[in-house]
Formats: sequence, structure tokens, C-alpha cells
Amino acid sequence: MSFTEKDKILARVQKPTRYTGGELNSVKKNPAQVQVRFAFCFPDVYEIAMSHLGIKILYHILNKREDTYCERVFAPWTDMEMQMRERNMKLFALETGDEITHFDIVAFTLQYELSYSNVVNMLDLADIPIRTSERTENHPFVCAGGPCAYNPEPLAEIVDFFMMGEGEEIINEITDVYIQWKQNGKGERKKYLKEIAKIEGVYVPSFYDVEYNEDNTIKSFTPNNPNAKPIITKRIMRDFDEAYAPESIIVPFGEIIHDRVMLEIFRGCIRGCRFCQAGYVYRPVRERKVQTLVSLSEKLLSSSGYDEISLSSLSTSDYRGLKELTDALLELTQKEKIGLSLPSLRIDNFSLELMNKVQKVRKSGITFAPEAGTQRLRDVINKNITEENILDSVKMLFRGGWANVKLYFMIGLPTETMEDVEAIAHLAQKVLGVYFDIPKDERAKNINITVSTSSFVPKPFTPFQWEAQNTRDMLVEKQKRLKGAITSRKIRYNWHDSKTSYLEGVFARGDRRLGEVLIAAQKKGCKFDGWDEHFDFEKWMSIFKECGINPDFYNMRKREYSEILPWDHINVGVSKEFFIRESEKAKKAVTTANCREKCAGCGASVFNGGVCYE
Amino acid sequence: MSNYVLKYAKGDAVKYISHLDFMRTFSRAVRRSKLPMVYSQGFNPHPIMTVALPLSVGVTSEGEYMKIGFDGDFSPDEIIQRLNASLPDGLCILDVKKAEGKEMDFSKIDRAKYLVDIELKLDISFDIDEFLKNDELVVLKKSKSGEKEDNIRPYIYSMNVDKKEGKMVTISMCLAAGSIYNLKPDTVILAMEKYIDGFAVEFFSVHRLCLLAGQIQYM
Repeated sequence: MSFTEKDKILARVQKPTRYTGGELNSVKKNPAQVQVRFAFCFPDVYEIAMSHLGIKILYHILNKREDTYCERVFAPWTDMEMQMRERNMKLFALETGDEITHFDIVAFTLQYELSYSNVVNMLDLADIPIRTSERTENHPFVCAGGPCAYNPEPLAEIVDFFMMGEGEEIINEITDVYIQWKQNGKGERKKYLKEIAKIEGVYVPSFYDVEYNEDNTIKSFTPNNPNAKPIITKRIMRDFDEAYAPESIIVPFGEIIHDRVMLEIFRGCIRGCRFCQAGYVYRPVRERKVQTLVSLSEKLLSSSGYDEISLSSLSTSDYRGLKELTDALLELTQKEKIGLSLPSLRIDNFSLELMNKVQKVRKSGITFAPEAGTQRLRDVINKNITEENILDSVKMLFRGGWANVKLYFMIGLPTETMEDVEAIAHLAQKVLGVYFDIPKDERAKNINITVSTSSFVPKPFTPFQWEAQNTRDMLVEKQKRLKGAITSRKIRYNWHDSKTSYLEGVFARGDRRLGEVLIAAQKKGCKFDGWDEHFDFEKWMSIFKECGINPDFYNMRKREYSEILPWDHINVGVSKEFFIRESEKAKKAVTTANCREKCAGCGASVFNGGVCYE
Repeated sequence: MSNYVLKYAKGDAVKYISHLDFMRTFSRAVRRSKLPMVYSQGFNPHPIMTVALPLSVGVTSEGEYMKIGFDGDFSPDEIIQRLNASLPDGLCILDVKKAEGKEMDFSKIDRAKYLVDIELKLDISFDIDEFLKNDELVVLKKSKSGEKEDNIRPYIYSMNVDKKEGKMVTISMCLAAGSIYNLKPDTVILAMEKYIDGFAVEFFSVHRLCLLAGQIQYM
């Protein structure tokens, strides 16, 4: 009898179940009997990582293979990291507890830019060389995917290869090639990379050379390997109804952020809000059939034992079979005492009736996202919602017994003026007016309106990808102005700090030269930048300075359409010509109809599926 | 509706689950087993489950008890079989009894037996009986209302060194447990460090063997 280091460590940290694995439906295999040990890494803490739908899908896809054991690896919280570093314990996988240092493939999912420092920190904790160029035959291949991979450049020096788009198929393809490489006695890493560079959607940064102009913009971006494609096109599941969906999911012991069954009803979005990267990169919209979803729900609920199910998509109301689906699900959930949650629902008579059926007694808060205060600015961003829509909706809500309304806006949008900012306050005031116009006995008590703003960050693959982000001073000025314009005590104002948005903006549109900054930042202890208690803005600024890089170049600069953008070699289906057209329409405050009203010719029809062919 | 008392084990794999997480994990397992759980009335119905004496985080056990209600009459074997098929590794139902009236009242529980594995900082020899000869063992004891100095000697019913190999020691102990006075092995170890010369603990783990009502094992 003796105690392991891990026993001793776990007795000293918060929430040890973050590190023990063994949850229901987690996969157990004998590692000695597989060809590939695969570490699926999410660069954030357990509760966030386990709430992510993508990991649930890919984990089970890989583990369906007999030749592969996919395990989960998450960022240890800072208390755990401290204990691990003190005792020289390396980053380990949850299922077996084994160090991932000599796994075969280490894959990261990139969900937000502020997790990049955690990617570097996790490699460091795993004792895997940070730079691609420093890894040998005995080190794993480090790869990445997810929405932030669409601009892979800031991680180009760190990640061996990227997978663009939906991972269901490509992840199997790169694993197959890996097994061949291994069976042929491994050898040069480049041999494997050359082979997978042929696969549609695989991007190997080291197979491309970048030259810069004197003004630091990109002069040329050229393949240096015959297998490297000049343009890398993302992968999608053309027939989403047929696409693999796990029938059982891991059920964590501790509470996680989305602690419920998530039912993915469709991918993509028909809306085309001009600030929203997700609205473009997941195109075209592809739905699952109602029958498929109902049978999947039954299986997921009975295999997990969860008492809540949530619909997941970018815009629930745009699902064409919503009534049929919710009728079927309500029958199921009411019988089994299961909660049904319906996020991102547009408010109308149908949805209100639905919410009444679902919520029964509890009337929780409702969030609206007008995004901008004036109609002009809402037209600029193509948020096709009018003030009348909003006021009609809140009227229905107040009459229906809701009194908690949250209004969500962005500040710092292109063309925004102080008038637009003040209009946010006026809109909130009008919402309050709607409440007071309803006779006392017909409305719920204790009105509570919360206005919250976040700072707009221009993202690649949106019509605003050429725009300058607002300076921090400007954003603070706008926050102050808005605060001053709100006079009623019934309206609360929350704003999101502009410092994190600044850094997000740098990495969102960054290029390869930022790799050095990330590596330096990890050495200085930057991690969990998405967490206020860990984010250190001044430290980041001093690192940029030491690296000789001006961060304003990336986020504060307006670009010309002719400039070569760091992500120009990636093709998400939506064309640059379309983004230019949309950018011009935005300047004139002209809106674009959604995909189902009228095709705008964005280019996503090249994938031969989904809404383009409905 | 019928009430049942379940005796279950909490193994190494799940020892870090907190009481709250255990309750959630267990009610999900019952859902998966399709045994018809009985829910409380009210706005936010929750399954009716009562745990006799919640286990601390990090402690394993082979003698935990809970009361649960099912809609209908089930044989103990069926309950054991269906629940064990649905529980995650590390949690295991050992025994089931139908609970009628007050005979299975959890408030009768007044003591618990533990096995404590200790890694000492230095390999020293000590006499546990000498330790127990102290009339008073006063240590800082944590409770819900805060910390206070307390004489824990009356609440130690027995202690025995089962095994000692170098720095590793296994001690079994029977301590007061339950709603009247609850003494954790952790506190006893504090007292040993205070009253036994050179007794310094590097690390220890606790395993609960059973709960008792007087001299009688609860179930």
C-alpha cells in the first residue's frame, strides 16, 4: 500500500473530478491494443470543455475505431497546474491518466482566440516542444481545428497541421494516413505531412512561405511543397441528416456549463448578420429531419439519465420543422419529467405559446439581441429586426407574465456614431414604456431591464474583415455616454471590458509573426486569458513591445480590399467578392435578404447541399 | 409507493465526487434504470432520496445507506440488478431492504467504523493504547458553526493498528457518527499528531467500513 503522486495532488485541489475521468459513458480501452493514441484537447477548464458539442461527436467517432483510443485532455485549473509543476507531473489524459508526451496525435479545438495561450501552456505542461520545427519522430503530431482555425496563422509556428471545417470525416482520414506512416516505420515527420496535405481541408503551414512588404502587410503567400494546395477548402457534412451523431454522451460528475442533452437541429445560419463569423463559416444551412431528432433525443436521454434537453443551433426559430419537433419533444419530456430549453428563439405568438408549455411556472429572464440602437445601424449590420418587432415582442412577454428582459448590444460597430450609442438607452426606455402602458393587473410585477454591451471585434470571413476595431479609449467613451443616457432606475447597464476584446481583435486577424508573441506570453505566465481573474493586459502589452510587434497593426488598422489577408488561402465557400459586396452594402445601410427569401450568391452553393438546394 | 433502504459502496474511482454531485449522479442512474422514482411535490420536483450520513470528498466506503421511494413494488434483487447496470464504475449497490415504519430510521445511527491508511513522515514506532489512555484529547475541531477546541476522547470507541510496514500504517477506528456527535478520522489524526511524540503524517486516506446503531451494524 502506498499513495500515488496523483492521490496527493488531488487532495489539494478544487473540484478533483475535473481530473479523474471515469464518468458514465466515457470510453475504456486497452491502450496496448491500439495503433493510435489520440489526445483530444480543449484549451480550457473541464466545465467549459465538457459543454462543447463538437468534442462529444469527434470523441465517439474516433473511439468507434478499434485501432484508435481517443482520450480527453483539458487545461488544468491554476491550482492544479501549480501542484503538477511542483511535482514534475506532466499533462495527462483523463481516461487512462497517462502522460500525453508520446501520444500519436494531439488535437486542439480552437473555439476562441483568448484560449491560444492555453494551447501553448498545455504543450509546455505536456513536455511537447512548442514549435513545429523542434518536434522529432518521437513526439506527437499537434493539430487543430474549430472555428478559430479559419485564420490559422497566429498558431502556424506551433501547430503541425490544421483541419478546416467539420471534422467528422477528415479526422478519420488523417488517422488512417498516420497508421500507414507508423506501419512503414515512421521516419521523417514531413513524409506524413506531405501525405495528408493531399487531403481536402488539411493545411500544413510549414509548406507555405510568407513574404512581407515594408509596411508589414503580406507581399506573397506561396506553397513550397508540391502537395500543398494554393487554396484549402473547408470540409462539411453535405447530408447533415445522415451525419453521425453519438447516441450516448459522457455524463460528468460535477456540474458543467451546459449540463444537459444538446440536440443539434441544424448547422449554419440563413441570416447573414454582417458581424457574425459563425453565420458565414458554417454555411450552407443543413437541417436534420424531425424523426431523426426525436429518435436521437430518446436515445440520448435514456443513455445519459439527464433530466434536461436543449435544442442547439445558431437560430432555433429558423428550423422549418420546429412545431412538429417541439410537439413531439414535449410529449416525451412531459411524460418523463424532463426540462426542454429553447435558446435563440424569436418571440412571436407561436414561440410564446411554446414557452408557456415548456416553462410552466417559472418565468426566467428573456434575452433580446437587437445588437444596435438605431435602425440605420441595424441595417448596416444586416440584423433584420425592427424597433416595432422588438416592442411588439416585449409587449407580448410582459402580458404573458415575464418581467425580466435583457437587451444585448454591441458597441464599436462600423459607422457607429454617438447618436447610435445613445439610441441604445432610448430603446431600453421605450421597452420600459411598453411595460408601463400595460394596465397593472395585466402585467407581471417588478420590471427589470438589463442592457448589456460587448465590444465589437472584426473577424475574418465576415464583410467587416477589413474594418478597424474601435480604440479602447473610444469604447470607454461610448460606455460612459451610454451609462449617462440611461436615466431610469429600472434599467441596469452591464458592459464587457474592452481590454480582452482588444487582444481578441489582435489574434482574430493576426498573422504568423504572432506565434513568437504567444510563445513569449506563455513563458511569462499568460494563461486563461478569457477569465477576468487571470487576464493581464499590461503584461501582454509589454510582451508585444519586447517582441517588436505593434498590436494595433492587426486590430486598429483599416485594410484595403486589395491587401493579401493572412487567411486568404482558406476557402470557406463564401467568396471574397460576396464579402466585398456586403461590405459596400453595409456602408450604404442596405440589407440583404436571408438565404430562404432570396439567394444572395454568397458562394456556399459549391458544396452542393443544404439550403442552396432546398 | 414503497420505500427502500439501499446499502452501497463508493469506490476509488468516484471518491472525489461531492455529496451534491453524488445525489445528481445517483438520480440520473435511477432514470437510466427506468425504476419509477418518486418526486417531491412543488415548483421544482426533485427525486426523494435521503442519504444516511454524507461521505466527505476523498473518502471511499463499503457501507453507505440511502432511502429512496419507488412507485410500485420491486424485489430487492431487481433493484440491485437494474441500478448496478446503470451506475458508473465505482458506485455499487450491495443490498436492498424494503423499509416499513420506523425500524430503519437513520437517526438511530450513532457510530461508524473506518480504515485509515497513513503515510508517516518518519518511520517511528508508537503505542496506540498509550494514546487512548489519555483522559482528554483536545484538538481544534471543525464544525458547521466554525472551529473550536474540543475533547474528542469520549467519542473514540476503539482504535487498533492493523498493520505497520515502515512509514505505512493502517489503523481501524470506531468513532461517533451521526447527528448527535460526528467525529471524523481526520480529527483523530490531528490528535495523534498532537499527543504522540514524533507522529507526523505525510498523507492519509480514509475508507468507511460500516455505520452502526450501538453495537449493531445498521444493515
